[in-house]
Amino acid sequence: MVVTSPRSSSVSVDAGARPDRATHVRLEAFDGPLALLLSLIEQRQLDVLEVPLGDLAGAYLEALSGLGDARLPHLSTFISVCSQLILIKSRALLPRAPASETTTIEPEDDPEAELRARLVLYKLYRDAAGRLALRSIGNVAMAHRDADVAAAAGVAGAQPPAVRPLDSALLVEALSASLRLAPPTPPPPEVMPRSVTLAERSAIIRTALRSAPTFVLQELLRDVRDRVVVAVTFLAMLELVKMRELSVEQARPWGPIVCRAAPVADAHQGSA
Amino acid sequence: MIGEDEASNAADLGGAGDLPVLALEALLFVAERPLSRQEIASLSGAPRETVDARLGDLEVDLRDRGIRLLSVGDRVQLSTAPEAGALIARYVGLSGVRLSPASLETLAIVAYRQPITRGAIERIRGVDSDHVLRSLLHRRLVTEQGRADSAGRPILYGTGFDFLERFGLTSLDDLPPLDADVAAQLAEEGRDDSLTSDGDATTDELVTRDPELGDPPPEDATDA
Repeated sequence: MVVTSPRSSSVSVDAGARPDRATHVRLEAFDGPLALLLSLIEQRQLDVLEVPLGDLAGAYLEALSGLGDARLPHLSTFISVCSQLILIKSRALLPRAPASETTTIEPEDDPEAELRARLVLYKLYRDAAGRLALRSIGNVAMAHRDADVAAAAGVAGAQPPAVRPLDSALLVEALSASLRLAPPTPPPPEVMPRSVTLAERSAIIRTALRSAPTFVLQELLRDVRDRVVVAVTFLAMLELVKMRELSVEQARPWGPIVCRAAPVADAHQGSA
Repeated sequence: MIGEDEASNAADLGGAGDLPVLALEALLFVAERPLSRQEIASLSGAPRETVDARLGDLEVDLRDRGIRLLSVGDRVQLSTAPEAGALIARYVGLSGVRLSPASLETLAIVAYRQPITRGAIERIRGVDSDHVLRSLLHRRLVTEQGRADSAGRPILYGTGFDFLERFGLTSLDDLPPLDADVAAQLAEEGRDDSLTSDGDATTDELVTRDPELGDPPPEDATDA
């Protein structure tokens, strides 16, 4: 069975290239290594069932190098087939050990048979897809009753197809006319950037410390409803701890954070 | 609407055990979704064999008409004849997108080998097919048909009425035959199965669905 290429393959040879030597192919997105290999075989008008696959290793490598970076996400699958081809080629080139001639090679140990089977199976469905494509001439071959579609189409179809489509200039004109009619939009309210500074929150903590020897952070923030203010106050507290002005204690997770002024001498232990 | 008050409907259809072809045709005409054979049987009170036989009669009757009987597994539906495709397309205003070769290839694999997992599709195509499969799902040319009972419970894909309608087929039996030489060669070598069962779901025996149903209903169908 000589394989011809009945279907317009998505893989095509560059114009001007001789099919039997061609290695510059154009691969559509989402086409894989088997599509590439099969196209190389078909461009050479070889039979996929009989062609020594090892012979194609060079052409495949060259074609692969011409594919460019767009193929990178799927590169591993291309490389995997490539390595199989090189293995097949090397087995064909190297002399066999005498023992292996007597032992029959199991099909699963024969990379060429395995790759050929994959190719043949792939070709089976690729050709089937070609026949399916021939059936799909229009966008709709058959349609069923669908209340929504019928209603929508009934409305849309009320306009006879002979009427010329509206000029887009009309639309622009209508839009600009309605813009003139529309009242001017009020200026947006001025947005004041809110600033919550560490210094500001540190000052509040210091004030709290001056009025009492200890205080609980949660108590200090009891009336605060703003998460940012809470977060910045917490950061300010950590900052004061770092500056050894403050020592904090928390007996259990989520428990009250007790803050007290750190004695200068005990600063190290206080911050523990 | 359908499915309610089955007893009185059965009486209207000419009594239990009887299902005239014209009543069957009328029922399918008014139904706005595919009906299962079981559903028709319980609506009409006719035994399942009668339903099958009348559906066969209807299919033959409709061959030269403007509508056709489509069947997917257990479910049937009336659709317009492919010969009227151009006119109908103009009416419904559909402007579908031409399918890319990769999409067609993936669709062919799903159509001929369903139910099939994504892994099995990718082993045949030799390339990641996630994107292509998702776009086919989006266009409803491929549907999810349940999950395989293998590790990870991969989704099984198949085709439904939208696929048949797009390609003017009345059932999967209408699919163009696969290349006989190649198929025979694959069967002889036993390669075909080894490729699809390797490490992934064998789709034929591990499918989790009720064999009674024949075809798993899509999420929007309610089988009786």
